[in-house]
Amino acid sequence: MNESSGPGFWAVARRPRWIGALLLALAIAAGFSALGQWQLARSVASAPVARADTETPIALTSLAEPGKTVTDTQLGRMVTVTGTLVDGDFVVLSNRLNAGATGFWLVGHVVTDGGAELAVALGWAPTRAQAAAAEGSATIASPLIGRYLPSEAPDQPDVDKGVQSAASVPAFINQWAHFGGSVYTGYLVAATPATGLEAIDSPAPSQEVSLNWLNVFYAAEWAIFAGFAIYLWYRLVKDVVEKEGEPVERRMEA
Amino acid sequence: MSLAPRPADVSRVRNVLRVFRVSAIVTGVFLLLLCAMMVLRYGFLVDIELNGPYGFLALTPRSRITGIDLSTAILIVHGWLYVVYLGCDFLLWRFVRFSFGRFLFFALGGIVPFLSFYFEFRIPAYVTARLAQAEVTPPVGVAA
Repeated sequence: MNESSGPGFWAVARRPRWIGALLLALAIAAGFSALGQWQLARSVASAPVARADTETPIALTSLAEPGKTVTDTQLGRMVTVTGTLVDGDFVVLSNRLNAGATGFWLVGHVVTDGGAELAVALGWAPTRAQAAAAEGSATIASPLIGRYLPSEAPDQPDVDKGVQSAASVPAFINQWAHFGGSVYTGYLVAATPATGLEAIDSPAPSQEVSLNWLNVFYAAEWAIFAGFAIYLWYRLVKDVVEKEGEPVERRMEA
Repeated sequence: MSLAPRPADVSRVRNVLRVFRVSAIVTGVFLLLLCAMMVLRYGFLVDIELNGPYGFLALTPRSRITGIDLSTAILIVHGWLYVVYLGCDFLLWRFVRFSFGRFLFFALGGIVPFLSFYFEFRIPAYVTARLAQAEVTPPVGVAA
């Protein structure tokens, strides 16, 4: 009947209670915006970094140091290394995919000329017996060429039930009979396989910078939520304006 | 004290309630799947893998997943289902004009396991009762 009998929007909005609510809404919106920024940063950070040539081999000693974590720029780089294969220090890994087929890796233990230890995946075989049989005749070229990759997360005893399938440098150290103490934290996938094995399929790292769309969408969602926090404040103030403007008969218990 | 629902909004409420009931059940189911997935991911350090090398459905450590990561899929799907649930909650709040605190309370349905299964029948009952109450006290000076 008489909708304009109550206070106006700004009269209600200027009350201390609603100024406080606005500050709260702004704080929430700022928090949401920060989360959106973080998602945007992640959408780029989790995309592969564009790099120059990774395929021309360079000396491992000029790329990485023993004991240091493998960095983004080292990851997937073709390297050369000279050293000797340690007799008897071989590990066979299960469940290794090679061009779609599940099989086994033979991993050798190399002591470089610089005296550091390096795990080298020598090749792939379809059966464990074939992989293990290659141990006897395994040799490495000099210099050995291969792709340098970061150590994988170790197997979990409860999940893997004793099956070793991860190329985990810490796990190898425990299995090696001889260990000098200075080790490369990454491992090498040999470009040419040892006799009796097939070459491990190890493609060059992707060079494209692609956005992680999932994170982009999350960033958009946070932006919408931030706007919604402000809208909710407006809506709540408007509710008060309407309530105070409407006849008493229209009111009811919440 | 809050305002009675607008007569024009009453018919819309029925449509929203229909969507809400479906959304409450589907979101509730995905919330339970989400809880199971969280226990597996952070308790047992595995994700649910669909169509990977270890079988059609397998529990695989995250770093070794090559198939479809169902755990992450559950996470994303639940997020969007909750957006729909919140949308229904928001529309009911606007149309039925219950308190803001109640709006926030109903929003918990997508976060607290099993709560949405209770809300699925409790909220429509509450809304219907409130609309009936509004009809008993007809608006003054407003054509129904």
